[in-house]
Amino acid sequence: MSRAPILHGRIQRVRHGRQTVLSDVDLRIEPACWTAIVGPNGAGKSTLLRCLAGLQPMAGEVSLGGSPIGAWPGRERGRTLAWLGQAEQGADDLRASDVVMLGRLPHQPWLAPPSPADHAAVERAMLATQSWAWRERPMGQLSGGERQRVLLARALAVEADVLLMDEPLSHLDPPHQADWLQIVRELVAAGRTVVSVLHELNVALMADRLVVMQQGRVLHHGPCDDPLCHDAVREVFEQRVRLHQLDGQWVALPVL
Amino acid sequence: MKSRWITRWACLLGAFMLASVAGGAHALEVRDDRGVTSRWATPPQRIVTLLPSLTETVCDLGACDRIVGVDRHSNHPASVQKLTKLGGLDDANVELIVSLRPDVVLLGVSARVIDRLEALGLKVVALEPRTQDDVRRVVQKVGAVLGRVAESERLARRIDAEVDAAAAMVPKAARGWRVYYEVDSAPYAAGTSSFIGYTLQRLSQDNVVPASLGPFPRLNPEYVVRADPYLIMVGARSAPGLPHRPGWDRIRAVRDGRICIFTPSQVDVLSRPGPRMGEAARIMLACLQQQVARQTGAGS
Amino acid sequence: MNRRGWGLGLVLIALTALAGVLALAVGSTGWSGPQAWGADPLAWQIAWEVRAPRSMGAWLAGALLALSGALAQGVFRNPLADPYLLGSSSGAALGVAACLAWLGVGPASADVWVRLGVSGAAFMGSVMAVALTLVLARGVQHTLRLLLAGVVVGVVLGALSALTMLMVPDITRAMQAFMLGTTGFIGWPAVGTMAPVLVVCLLLALGGSRALDAMSLGDAAASSLGVSVTWARWVLVLVLSAATGTAVAQAGLISFVGLVAPHLVRSVVSVTHGALMVLSCLAGGLLLLLADVLARWLIAPQELPVGVLTAVLGGSYLLWRMNRSSGGLT
Repeated sequence: MSRAPILHGRIQRVRHGRQTVLSDVDLRIEPACWTAIVGPNGAGKSTLLRCLAGLQPMAGEVSLGGSPIGAWPGRERGRTLAWLGQAEQGADDLRASDVVMLGRLPHQPWLAPPSPADHAAVERAMLATQSWAWRERPMGQLSGGERQRVLLARALAVEADVLLMDEPLSHLDPPHQADWLQIVRELVAAGRTVVSVLHELNVALMADRLVVMQQGRVLHHGPCDDPLCHDAVREVFEQRVRLHQLDGQWVALPVL
Repeated sequence: MKSRWITRWACLLGAFMLASVAGGAHALEVRDDRGVTSRWATPPQRIVTLLPSLTETVCDLGACDRIVGVDRHSNHPASVQKLTKLGGLDDANVELIVSLRPDVVLLGVSARVIDRLEALGLKVVALEPRTQDDVRRVVQKVGAVLGRVAESERLARRIDAEVDAAAAMVPKAARGWRVYYEVDSAPYAAGTSSFIGYTLQRLSQDNVVPASLGPFPRLNPEYVVRADPYLIMVGARSAPGLPHRPGWDRIRAVRDGRICIFTPSQVDVLSRPGPRMGEAARIMLACLQQQVARQTGAGS
Repeated sequence: MNRRGWGLGLVLIALTALAGVLALAVGSTGWSGPQAWGADPLAWQIAWEVRAPRSMGAWLAGALLALSGALAQGVFRNPLADPYLLGSSSGAALGVAACLAWLGVGPASADVWVRLGVSGAAFMGSVMAVALTLVLARGVQHTLRLLLAGVVVGVVLGALSALTMLMVPDITRAMQAFMLGTTGFIGWPAVGTMAPVLVVCLLLALGGSRALDAMSLGDAAASSLGVSVTWARWVLVLVLSAATGTAVAQAGLISFVGLVAPHLVRSVVSVTHGALMVLSCLAGGLLLLLADVLARWLIAPQELPVGVLTAVLGGSYLLWRMNRSSGGLT
């Protein structure tokens, strides 16, 4: 039923200098599902996501669809797994549409100009993130939120089976956060896998599954509605957060 | 009446001689090319020179034994090669110079150490000969510093005489040739107003670079092609690529192979405006004679 | 490439054509238009043999340097990058200094240096300096390490060439001419060397331009899009070294063209790296050609160093544009 290959990470250790950032992680990402990774600052969330994307040198093994991610040819992996980093800088001189077109790179033969399919995908992605209006503007002239929506569109334009996004909602105001939620739900309904590192607990609690991290280890991985999950969340945030249900939706509020 | 006139003049002469003796508290006073005046009570006995032409001038005026240190490029006469080497104009070893306790430091105007040396209390005489008039003036000033004024006059006359002698021996066939003298491969040429140009002029050569362009102008290579010199004089370092420069194969001198290539030691002599200018003239004369011999030897 | 990009390209080509005509008419006698050529038979030959290759060489050298600069700015994601940042300028200077110092001094050494020529020595020096930088930085993995290694190599080799100049002061003036850039001796053989190099380097740069676009978002993003960042960097660094080495070998160390030409383009249009490469070549070629014309014209028959004029021309235009944009902040 689901097309998405299974993403499985077995990470023994990741170090930054003398510090161990991740240790003993065994994580299997459910296909056709939205998984949110939460945890306090410095828990290793971004590093875990980078490992799953195959972008982080580490001691361990990540497999995509059964074979190690390093064994996948670059372009094929690029078509299957899309990545959006945290606060991507640069490309100030490129126009927004050029940046989104970069997402089609894994689909384009080496020197071929963009095909009509590419243009269509770019348009779809930019309309979905409401960034079509300023497609001709250089990135350097966009505000933080506008820029983030263009970068999101780039990740969407890949039309990959697996999307890994690190802090995708930075600079976005609530209406556009809602847009993003809508997009994710549609992607999951179409059978794709979404994994996102989120700082916004309330949005994270709307996910299908939650990965709760603390000091480089995964404390809990399971459905969001589960009381065990909520216990884990309260534990990693040192009991300074309380969870309530509001209109059928779980929200997290700080304990004052 | 005549006796009164003689007396008046004798008194004046006496007063003048008295004054010149009395005013001899500083017997030596020299104004260098920067306009700075230096004074010594007695002629300096310990001399440092940082310009090869000045070294040669000092030695030629008979004061070679007074030199205590030279720059690394001074190599003539042979006796100075044993002296302490003090570096060049840009990197002179200030500490070493000071430790030699010189009475005077002779160097070029563009040296960077001048301020430092003067701040340390040394007397610096900066001289820079570029034109022929400069050469005469520099020789006189060096003579004044050494207290060898008469010798310096003799030296200046000797230089002129040697150049004249060389000029007299220029073959008739070589008179009036258009010459291009290349100093460096940028290309920098020796113009009519330089001391090299002066010698060429004395040797009845017509310099393609007029006086209006200054002593050592940097030319557009096209200018030389247009000027079409009959003879080219160049140092060994710049010589190899010269005939292959674009458009230069149509220059008469290149086509017919009339290029005089000077060895580095000859270039030393030619590029130092000092006592060896006579020798420089003879080197250029040899070049002219050689070219004339080639022409007649090749038959026509 | 968008419409503005095409527009800029056409403008640059038109200006280059104009400058080319100017270049043929300006020489050691100042301005001498085509009408004078009829009267003077030498003039036509001089124009063909001396001015034409020199002007074309200046354009080619400017295009090569601008291409290098655009590549350097893209690979290192640094708007202040120029073609010489991997130590190639100091390497070329050392090569030339060594060549001039040994040239014509001894019969045995003379042979090697004469065959190599000053151009060959400059090219070898430039390429070897970059190789040294790559070795010191242990590859192209980390751009910061590469930049630092380039600085170190540049400083050390620069000191060595300064030392050579001190030991052999005869070469000082020729070295100075090289360091300020000189187009005076570019003939048809030099043009024949630079033109194919420009074509090949431009094609390779265009091939890698998509990778550069992706890399401008960061190594991680580019890698996730299937771009082999290390491979792309190797190829582009080698291309930029070859282009720089060739330009420097023929025209000396002309500064500023490589740095400023891509900025000139970017101040007018926003384009991807592919279009940036082509437009930078056009802009750089035009800049150096104009500088060369002025170098010959202003104090004819004497010549100004062309590197001074590129700085004046390029810098003034950039200042003017910066003034304009800062005056009207949107």
